[in-house]
Amino acid sequence: MRRLCLNCAYGFLALGVAACLMAALAASCSAQNITVPTSAVAGEPASIAITGSGKATLYILGPGISTKQEVNLGEDLKLRGDALKNAGDYHIVACSDSCHSATFYVSAGKPASLTFLVHPSRVPVSQQDAVSGVAFPFDQFHNLVFTPQTINFQLSAGNASLLNRSVNTQAGVAWFRTSSGKSAGALQVVASLNDFNARRVVQQVASDPCNLRITGQRNAQGILVQTEPVHDCSGNPVPDGTIVSFTATAASGKSTVDAPIKKGVARAEMEATGSAVISGASGVVMGNEVRVGGRP
Amino acid sequence: MIRKFPARSCARISCSLMLVVCFVAAQYSVAADAATQVQLNAAKAAPRAVEPLTQNSIVRDYRVAWNSMSHALEFNSLDPLNGPFTGEAKTGLWQSVVSQQRSGLGRRYADQTHHLDAVFYAPEGDAIELHDTAEYQLQFLDKGKVIHEEHVVAHYVVLMTPSADRWLVRYLQAVPQF
Amino acid sequence: MKFILPIILAIATVVLIGVAFVASGTVVGKTVGIEAGSAMYGLTPKASTPDQALTNLLVDVKRRNWDQAYGEISNPQVATKQQFIQAWTGSYGSLRTFSALEGFELRPMHITNDAAQMRVRLHWTTPIGPLEDVRDFHLAKVGDIWKTVWSKTDVPNVPSQVIPVTYLRWDLVSAAGDDEWGAKNIDAPHVRIISMNPLDFAEGAVVLGEVVNEDTIPAFVNVTATLVDGSGKEIDEETSFDKIDHILLPKQVTPYRIDFPKVNLKNVKNVRMNVKATLVPASADPVIGVMNQKVDPDYQGKSVLRGDLLNESGQTVNIPHVIASLYDNNGKVIWVADGYVEHSLLPQTAAPFEIEIPKNMVPKVSNFHVVVNQYSMGRN
Repeated sequence: MRRLCLNCAYGFLALGVAACLMAALAASCSAQNITVPTSAVAGEPASIAITGSGKATLYILGPGISTKQEVNLGEDLKLRGDALKNAGDYHIVACSDSCHSATFYVSAGKPASLTFLVHPSRVPVSQQDAVSGVAFPFDQFHNLVFTPQTINFQLSAGNASLLNRSVNTQAGVAWFRTSSGKSAGALQVVASLNDFNARRVVQQVASDPCNLRITGQRNAQGILVQTEPVHDCSGNPVPDGTIVSFTATAASGKSTVDAPIKKGVARAEMEATGSAVISGASGVVMGNEVRVGGRP
Repeated sequence: MIRKFPARSCARISCSLMLVVCFVAAQYSVAADAATQVQLNAAKAAPRAVEPLTQNSIVRDYRVAWNSMSHALEFNSLDPLNGPFTGEAKTGLWQSVVSQQRSGLGRRYADQTHHLDAVFYAPEGDAIELHDTAEYQLQFLDKGKVIHEEHVVAHYVVLMTPSADRWLVRYLQAVPQF
Repeated sequence: MKFILPIILAIATVVLIGVAFVASGTVVGKTVGIEAGSAMYGLTPKASTPDQALTNLLVDVKRRNWDQAYGEISNPQVATKQQFIQAWTGSYGSLRTFSALEGFELRPMHITNDAAQMRVRLHWTTPIGPLEDVRDFHLAKVGDIWKTVWSKTDVPNVPSQVIPVTYLRWDLVSAAGDDEWGAKNIDAPHVRIISMNPLDFAEGAVVLGEVVNEDTIPAFVNVTATLVDGSGKEIDEETSFDKIDHILLPKQVTPYRIDFPKVNLKNVKNVRMNVKATLVPASADPVIGVMNQKVDPDYQGKSVLRGDLLNESGQTVNIPHVIASLYDNNGKVIWVADGYVEHSLLPQTAAPFEIEIPKNMVPKVSNFHVVVNQYSMGRN
């Protein structure tokens, strides 16, 4: 029994050696060394070379591309630029009797555009580190450019320059953070790289109302109550549309009106026949109280 | 001794076998999805620290993205790309699948592990850049037949941006090294 | 033998028609204590009692049989037929114009030989759900029948005039062109939940509080609450639905209330709040004042917050919706109540409103804040 097993083992060994020899022979007949570009750039043509003779099936699989074609071994193969638009790894597989593979990398081209994220789109004035921007350089085929680039960030409000800072990209990104300006209005934010730039606008708005003051006087309909021009603590007018809540407390009950600021002032008509105490508030900011006497 | 089954029994056995095969295939598919391992190191993220819940979301959504991408490129289906990808990543993968549909080729990513390093997290949290060191078994398919297989260690630069309920892969590009 | 089945069917048909005749007068309105009788065309029972007279009127109103109904009032001189109809069907696109009388319950209040007072609970179907209305009717005996004495209703009428308004609105412009990443970012409005209070109430739990728009632009706001149990499992998730003023102008505060029917607060360990705000086009008008607010008992003895809504602008508000935060003496929101006003609010006119306050809340209420949500045709 043991002898029988030994014979079997010898047999398998002999078969293995024969198979190896056959494979080595075949490989020597159509040896395929694939030479790929060492530095390919997106959108630019490149060539690959496969040694050997005869025909083979060539597969190219990369980002956005997948082709299969018959090629003659031993000839240089030209890859058109539009086949290499996407940066990343490209795999070449050539199959005749056996398959061989190689991989090459296509890098992004020169920067051609900037993606620029700016936050927030509205910001109260005089807020620390409230405005930030992030810029990513891309080439003409929208590949992210990783080689360091110098991006210039400029912030201006009206004619005043609030920030002018150059930042080098790291890992394909550059960013800034800064405080908002002191006056309400449009804040122009520009990121520049070489000859092109991306422009965004941040609306600087007044902060919460400050020192909200109201006045009230009796008229034919009831009590006309209105605010003085409403400003924030920096003197910026609070935007029109901001709600001021007026409350009149009288013997007949409580009356409230949520009135929007229009042209800088909020005003409302309150119904109250007797004397009333009137107060105003905007959001969580309280104003003064006024007492209006009853109708004579 | 050969035992003959009646025709009805054969049909029953065939059905049972098909069910078993389907069940096993489904289990295998789920297992394949679950087997994609993703780890995130957010210690070096700047200028903003990555919140723990955000870290969990990114790991979850990046895993889903790779599973969807693998499915799309293996079976040449565009549907899996609709959820987890946006922007250039979606466009690029779309082109890849369409190109594969034309050529009859496919790619299969198996045994994936991804080690993510968060290198940039935008001040307002609206973009995160990740460096992914990925390992997987990559197979190239021609009409479903494997023509080439290799173990790949690849480096990817990834940009993810938040949507209403998840993080989307906006940019996914292989690089030679970080 | 072959005629048995047709004969049975014919008898059954006649019986069913008979049942329908008899039942038709009683199914529409539920009379407490007294039969309402039939109200078929040509078969209206004689109004020999006050409740029968009122039942006849209300059945005709329900069927929009206006000629008949108008003929059942004792004093047609106080209102034209058109005014009478309008009193029931509403006008100016108010909630009543979209409503239908579904049923009623009568309760005699006071009856003498020739006069009576009846209290009626009217059940309306409306687009925002069923509404109840309680009204008192006077009836008088005219000859040998009873008729309803129609109370003249003052339908608001605004004289022709020009009301100058400094009009203010926010429009939303969506940029055209390609969808470049980062080029179209407009931040959502900043809104904040300023208070949240979970309560056990009736057969469920409620989560209520207030939200403020801290931004300088209008916001469409919706609040969602998720109840979580001790193991971190979600029990239920609901939104504020119509118990909130969805469109908040800058610095405006709205109450919100989220109802969780059949959830016991004892099982809730955590409440996750989520406020979603989106940018919407909006108008700063109309401005609606809430005048003479006070808590009073109504004529059923229930406590109500009542007052008058005053439309200070130049446009008609079709459906006013009043929402009120009720505070305890520590300023904590203890309840959020709301109610729709059935009549539209014409420019420069006032209309009363009432919101019921739950009985157990009444002793705790120290203050309140009322906001008016409004639906105006062609503007919402």
